[in-house]
Amino acid sequence: MLDPTLLPWWAWPLLLFAVTFLLGIVAVIGGIGGGVLFVPIVAGFLPFHLDFVRGAGLLLALSGALSAGPSLLRGGLASLRLAMPLALAGSIGAIAGAFLGLAMPTRVLQLSLGIVVLAIAALMWATRHAGETLARTPDRWAAALGLSGRYPEASQGTIVAWTVHRTPAGLAAFAVIGVIGGMFGLGAGWANVPALTLLMGLPLKLAVGTSGLTMSIMNTSAAWVYLNEGALLPILHVPSILGVMLGARFGVRMLKRIEAQTARYIIIAVLLIAGGRSLLQGFGI
Amino acid sequence: MKLERHEKAYARWLAIGARLGFAALVASFFIYLFDLIPPGIPPTELPRYWGLPVGQYLAATHASTGWGWVARLPQSDVLNFVGVVILGATSIACYARLIVDYAAERDWIYVAICIAQLAVLATAASGILN
Repeated sequence: MLDPTLLPWWAWPLLLFAVTFLLGIVAVIGGIGGGVLFVPIVAGFLPFHLDFVRGAGLLLALSGALSAGPSLLRGGLASLRLAMPLALAGSIGAIAGAFLGLAMPTRVLQLSLGIVVLAIAALMWATRHAGETLARTPDRWAAALGLSGRYPEASQGTIVAWTVHRTPAGLAAFAVIGVIGGMFGLGAGWANVPALTLLMGLPLKLAVGTSGLTMSIMNTSAAWVYLNEGALLPILHVPSILGVMLGARFGVRMLKRIEAQTARYIIIAVLLIAGGRSLLQGFGI
Repeated sequence: MKLERHEKAYARWLAIGARLGFAALVASFFIYLFDLIPPGIPPTELPRYWGLPVGQYLAATHASTGWGWVARLPQSDVLNFVGVVILGATSIACYARLIVDYAAERDWIYVAICIAQLAVLATAASGILN
């Protein structure tokens, strides 16, 4: 960890802003949340303790999800009806994960974070060419909950019907994602989208929007725990939120110039470095 | 494509909460940074503490847990938590509103989901588990 006396105090929030600005650009081009990059990189390379970095990571993901939620809903690109039961399972998991994370020794947490981040990189690599396997008929749970509808597919100028299957498995997956997200402050977009598309058979575009909506609820639950435990430092989370949000806006403009697949490879490389660094920290190196 | 009434309301409440919370978060941060209101822990002293685990940080700074920070208002470092609370309360307000809409539609499964979610969020927010 860097010595905080290397720079004057005011330089650290500025550095944090610069780092998170870059993360925001990469995250939006790669189509993932900022939290998954933020926590391992900031905890690995800047002088802030992992406890506060995780709290900031959750607030970062929460702010992004809350900001995007209204336009996703208004555009018909997120299903509130689908998000609600999944968010309920996810937020129970997130609270459990937050308590678990705050109770674990730092070394164990760093080691676990390293393993999780490397696993996320592997998941991104494995699913980089995954196509859509859409659900055709709803399972019993989906039928009972009315989990089907239509969304506008702007690229084709059509309205597409959707439903989901394997709902119980989806609920279980969201509970587990919640635990991991709450424990490490990673947000949940990195896992929500594959769970919605590959497991539940939702179209990708709707999965991205619905994932954002579930994140706003899951991260809220865990953020309350971090606030009540005193694990939030404004000097850490405010510059980070500003950096990622401005970076994301800049990233949207760059979307046309950089291929999503290229950004995905950059993210995988960054995750490998950050995950490796976290593992080394866990081993006390 | 026509949005359902409760989706419109949810989007509207979410937008209001996000804007308010974000504005409070940023405004209070600059109040803290430029020392416009005296803080509990000045930013110049923070580098001594931000590398500590939260337990040691709390012991060293005598910072509060739970809702104890409310008693320290208007110290500018805890003023920032008002913004966090607004962001955290946004989903709670949205769900409270959804209960009314789903009850009007007699969609009892979703009324139950709303109540369960509100219970989970309220429990986390109350700090009784901490």
